[in-house]
Amino acid sequence: MPDRPRLGTARWIALIFFLVLTAISVAPLVWGFLTSLKTPQDLLTYPPQLFGYELTLQHYQRLVDSGFIQALRVSALYAAATVVLGLVLGSVAAYGFDRYEFRFKRFFFLLVVSSIPLSIGAAALVIPNYLYLTTLGLTNSWYTLPIVYTAYNLPMAIWIIKGSIEGIPRELDEAALLDGASPLGVLWRIVIPLCRPALGAAGMFLFIGAWNNFVSSSVMVDSGHLRPVQVAIYQYIGYFGREWGPLTASASVAIIPIIIVFAFLGRFLVSGLSQGAVKG
Amino acid sequence: MRSRFLGPLFVAPAMALILLLLMMPAAYGFYYSLFRIRFLQMTEFIGFGNYQRLFSDPDLVPIVLRTLVFTASTVTLTLVVAMLLALWIDRQTGFLAFSAQIVVILPWVISAVVAALLFRWVFVSEIGIGRYLFSLVGVHFDPLSSATSAMILLIIVSAWRTVGYGLVLLLAGLKGIPTEYFEAARVDGASGVQIFRFITLPMLKTPLLIATVVLTLSYINNVETPLVTTAGGPGQATNILPLDLYSRAFAQYDFATAIPLAICMFVGNILLVLGYVRLVGWRA
Repeated sequence: MPDRPRLGTARWIALIFFLVLTAISVAPLVWGFLTSLKTPQDLLTYPPQLFGYELTLQHYQRLVDSGFIQALRVSALYAAATVVLGLVLGSVAAYGFDRYEFRFKRFFFLLVVSSIPLSIGAAALVIPNYLYLTTLGLTNSWYTLPIVYTAYNLPMAIWIIKGSIEGIPRELDEAALLDGASPLGVLWRIVIPLCRPALGAAGMFLFIGAWNNFVSSSVMVDSGHLRPVQVAIYQYIGYFGREWGPLTASASVAIIPIIIVFAFLGRFLVSGLSQGAVKG
Repeated sequence: MRSRFLGPLFVAPAMALILLLLMMPAAYGFYYSLFRIRFLQMTEFIGFGNYQRLFSDPDLVPIVLRTLVFTASTVTLTLVVAMLLALWIDRQTGFLAFSAQIVVILPWVISAVVAALLFRWVFVSEIGIGRYLFSLVGVHFDPLSSATSAMILLIIVSAWRTVGYGLVLLLAGLKGIPTEYFEAARVDGASGVQIFRFITLPMLKTPLLIATVVLTLSYINNVETPLVTTAGGPGQATNILPLDLYSRAFAQYDFATAIPLAICMFVGNILLVLGYVRLVGWRA
């Protein structure tokens, strides 16, 4: 809090309201985490206990025993590949869209803009995508999901990065070009360093999109070792049934990377989202 | 000469990926939907035969109606809560205003599977803390005991996840309204309600419409929330379109009706996308 000696009544009410808001937002997450630390006996206590029980990591041990680490590792690799691929393709495309003139440019950019909401349409897309990738023989491979994740989140990345490149004076890259730099050299040495916040925002959308994807992930790969974390959690619902210890443990672990990324880049997310709202 | 080809060259890889994975599959799916399908293989051309089978399914109309009720209720609940929060946060300053936004948007970045799983633990399980808290105030809340309460739970989970998104959009819109408008209205003696009705609300038309379109798109395509929270139950009470589509294809392997349904939903999505594109006022 700002270091004011005294808080007025209005400020106190605002603070209390803020705490209630926080509680509603995080209560299910905190409660899930507390549950995951209880022994199976304490878990069944009714009414549920907030404090005063023995802490245990046994549910996490069961996750490790049932192959959760592999799912986490695979998801981390998928997400890393998606972020790298998405940022490289996204910044090159955004640079091309902003700094060059070519035929059908407006049309192609319209396709990019429409793909942002289009890629939210997971349910409608998944069946055609599944048929298409099956026909091409591209399902159930190590590269299947990173490519799908990148395609779904690339339009948003291009949109965010282009918004930032627009603000960089063209004189800067023209001067560098006159000095003999190559176009890609200009992008790498001049444009990229100046739009780091946008890259952070785009990277965050790519990461969240990859890490949280369930629908495509659940049908595009079959092999156990290719299965990402959200699919593993869903399968645990059938596997562990009403054993809420391991279930809440898997949910708690899956949230951690998102919370970490969000803590560092959350403000970029807010600005990236509001960019869409104020245009027009 | 050189730079004429550079633009297309830079844009090509990203465009190829978008076209090949977001646009092409839909065209391919449409082509597929015109054939008789056996074990996922196309056999003979039957025109719109699969569509006829889909539309003669007696379950389809109730599912569509249920989806409409769910979507309309969730959009309304999300936007009303988001609007109240936006008006409140707009008056706050510094740390509080910023943190409130961050906190409210947190559920939006958590995966839908995890969010739905946690709500299931809190409200659906017999020993859930949510049910206990309700019983403290004398309310018996057993979501899977009736169609209405199951639908209410589904709406609450979905709205909980998306209020933050609506908030960010509306708050950005609020910040964009020139303060002179409010000052002039106050000088003229307008009440708070009048100011909201005749200045704030009309000025927020675009962000409200954008949020409505995006939220609608996301609710009619979200499989995870109904799948994990209620699994469509009790009975068919929360079996809404995205879940129905997903289970038609990947639980019942009824691709003959799942594919035409996916194509119909894709067309619906395209209409919403066109609305979105108009609203954001894109420029090249």
